Amino acid sequence: MNTATETFYEVMRRQGITRRSFIKYCSLTAAALGLGPSFVPKIAHAMETKPRTPVIWVHGLECTCCSESFIRSAHPLVKDVVLSMISLDYDDTLMASAGHQAEAALEDTIERYRGNYILAVEGNPPLNEDGMYCIVGGKPFVEQLRHAAKDAKAIISWGACASFGCVQAAKPNPTRATPVHKVITDKPIIKVPGCPPIAEVMTGVITYMLTFDRLPELDRTGRPKMFYSQRIHDKCYRRPHFDAGQFVEAWDDEGARRGYCLYKVGCKGPTTYNACSTVRWNEGVSFPIQSGHGCIGCSEDGFWDKGGFYDRLENIQAFGIEGNADQIGGYAAAGVTGAVALHAAVSALKRAQHKPETDTSGKEDA
Amino acid sequence: MSDPTRLVAGPFNRVEGDLEIRLDVEDGQVRAAYANSPLFRGFERILAGKDPRDALTITPRICGICSISQSAAAARALAAAQGLAPAEAGLTAAALIHGVENLADHLTHFALFFMPDFAKPAYAEEPWHARMLERFAAGRGSGVRAALEARAQLLHVMGILAGKWPHTLAIQPGGVTKAPDARDRVRILATLRAFRGYLEREVFAGPLEAFAELSDGQALESWRRGGQGGDLRLFLEAAQGVGLAQLGRGPARFMSYGAYETADGPLFARGLFVKGRRRALSLDGLVEETAHSWMLGVPAHPYGGSTVPDGEMAEPAYSWCKAPRLDGQTVEVGALARQVVDGHPLALDLAAEGADARARVVGRLLEVARSVPTLEAWTAALKPGEPYMRRGAPVSEGRGAGLVEAARGALGHWLVVERGRIANYQIVAPTTWNFSPRDAAGVPGPVEQALVGAPVRPGETTPIAVQHVVRSFDPCMVCTVH
Repeated sequence: MNTATETFYEVMRRQGITRRSFIKYCSLTAAALGLGPSFVPKIAHAMETKPRTPVIWVHGLECTCCSESFIRSAHPLVKDVVLSMISLDYDDTLMASAGHQAEAALEDTIERYRGNYILAVEGNPPLNEDGMYCIVGGKPFVEQLRHAAKDAKAIISWGACASFGCVQAAKPNPTRATPVHKVITDKPIIKVPGCPPIAEVMTGVITYMLTFDRLPELDRTGRPKMFYSQRIHDKCYRRPHFDAGQFVEAWDDEGARRGYCLYKVGCKGPTTYNACSTVRWNEGVSFPIQSGHGCIGCSEDGFWDKGGFYDRLENIQAFGIEGNADQIGGYAAAGVTGAVALHAAVSALKRAQHKPETDTSGKEDA
Repeated sequence: MSDPTRLVAGPFNRVEGDLEIRLDVEDGQVRAAYANSPLFRGFERILAGKDPRDALTITPRICGICSISQSAAAARALAAAQGLAPAEAGLTAAALIHGVENLADHLTHFALFFMPDFAKPAYAEEPWHARMLERFAAGRGSGVRAALEARAQLLHVMGILAGKWPHTLAIQPGGVTKAPDARDRVRILATLRAFRGYLEREVFAGPLEAFAELSDGQALESWRRGGQGGDLRLFLEAAQGVGLAQLGRGPARFMSYGAYETADGPLFARGLFVKGRRRALSLDGLVEETAHSWMLGVPAHPYGGSTVPDGEMAEPAYSWCKAPRLDGQTVEVGALARQVVDGHPLALDLAAEGADARARVVGRLLEVARSVPTLEAWTAALKPGEPYMRRGAPVSEGRGAGLVEAARGALGHWLVVERGRIANYQIVAPTTWNFSPRDAAGVPGPVEQALVGAPVRPGETTPIAVQHVVRSFDPCMVCTVH
């Protein structure tokens, strides 16, 4: 069997996925990516004719929460398909082999698909002490990362660790944990931050890349716009309470029981771009604000060092609020409301027309 | 006699995080083992100087698979420092959240991490191999898929009670931020019933209660022969075939901090089990040693401990992991340890002389069978409208310990607050106990001890027996060193 020329469709059929399920998968993919029904046959055609893109998934300093999130993706079919696509190659949490056999599998994949595979990175390399705080196969992880990145087509930085550094990079950053784009500067990199990222966002991004063979459109910090163009606050179901000036003041007060806005107990929703308030978590069941706790802003760069998680955002001007929360009720928060709904519709259209520049995105923060 | 040869087994897959084990092999057997956790992030140093409440956000990120346990330990340590007793209903909700995570972890370990080893080509001649391949081939076996699906469904409870998982924010020193309503209660109950359905159909192939009532190894064998199908019977058959019960003998000292604190006390007892008897547990004699760790500093109790890495990585140290000892001795922790300390007759019969690789797996499933009915009962008892949170005053000076049971065993957080900031924060995780390196006296840690005698077949570089033993502990390397 020559796996180099195998198409996605062939891989899926070999994994026992029926034609009917395949078409359903294509429709779901189109829907998840905000594309219209006319794109379904295009996606199907692409998957039937294109050789599958191999994925190598490596782990640095991390807590594996990204993998944990990923394997619970909402739609069983999407999960099956995506898992069957990536598990063929190299992932050291889930794969069958161990030890040198596993290392050989990695080398083999790099060799066979040189210049053609996607490198998915979970966690980040620590650079202090020559990288010895994270050793994989007897060598510093940073070496494995550089080695695997050298022949990769593109890189996905999963989660806050790979994208921005996350808590192990919090002051004083004892190991000098460093995000991927500061180490690899000559490849297109897409950042999918969050601690962890939402499962559906992860499968959405990887499906887009596997299907269309290019990066989705990115924002200025390298995040895919399709999932990171709105603030949590923009679509928060508690937003009316913010606008009405109704706030939780303490954990067990009447406001907490009534589900008022959590802004005053430290919610970072107004400055955090992510899909939590729309896609939600654990298969769309809930998200942190729905369980009565403010957002900590885990998809934003430096969220771990922006002051206490329970301090309110009073001095941050970035989101256009001039007064503090005690005055804000009267403002009706005009500055925060954007043309969000319109934007969502337009950007889906734009994505279809616009081919993103895949070769510049990785250099932005370098 | 042949000369000993040295193998470096690793990196291990299907364990949480990175792990490397150095083996001295002689006459086809492991003579000595050295466990290395090759990953250090420095959480204790990051926590120093921060607002104590920030520990609730930072410590869960030690681990993506047992983040609730970290969360619960941090909340407990803070509550102790504040002198705050959580709201009773909040305790039950937190116990439910924690119990669900531990269930999910046990299932993940069984179906995704442990069973796939039996589907390897090394066992192609065994009568059960074809069934293993169909159910547990890594990533695509029907049993693997069923487990992933059941687990994702089960974790809806996390969504309902905890907002998101991994890394919830809902557990606080005074209780939980989410007060479940009547609708939530029904949804949680339905989810647990569905999970029970999966377990009774695919894993136990029979009622959970029947398994939870088994009284000894003999009864376990009758249970296996008395029924048809189920992944657990398949496991027991394979375990017998490869002699899993003869592999991985641990130190015969078990410790549990007591699992799931509720207003009525813990579901599984707290204590120490040594020389065939349970004793009250005192942690005054707990010391973390650093003789074989790449850490500076002197042996100390966690309240006075430090975590300063030795950048030189000087010999004879070989791991970032410290070596915790209780009254100078190693202890084994985990689901089996909890069941032994709790006095369950099956666990006592299987492990009183020391745990083995098979007993550890059975211990986990025994705990699953005992936990699900309790979680159902707790859910039914949830009372909407009760206070789920008690308010605490900010702490400026004080200290407190947060002791909980993660899926993998005893987890402790020790917090010291001075002038309103964290002055010291030390964490001793379950795998720190089980995978500790040697201490100053050269006494090996539990897994290092358990590996001695494991057979090594000619040509094996990461011996399959070694993999069985290592995975039987369900190591979580990201927690170990943090």
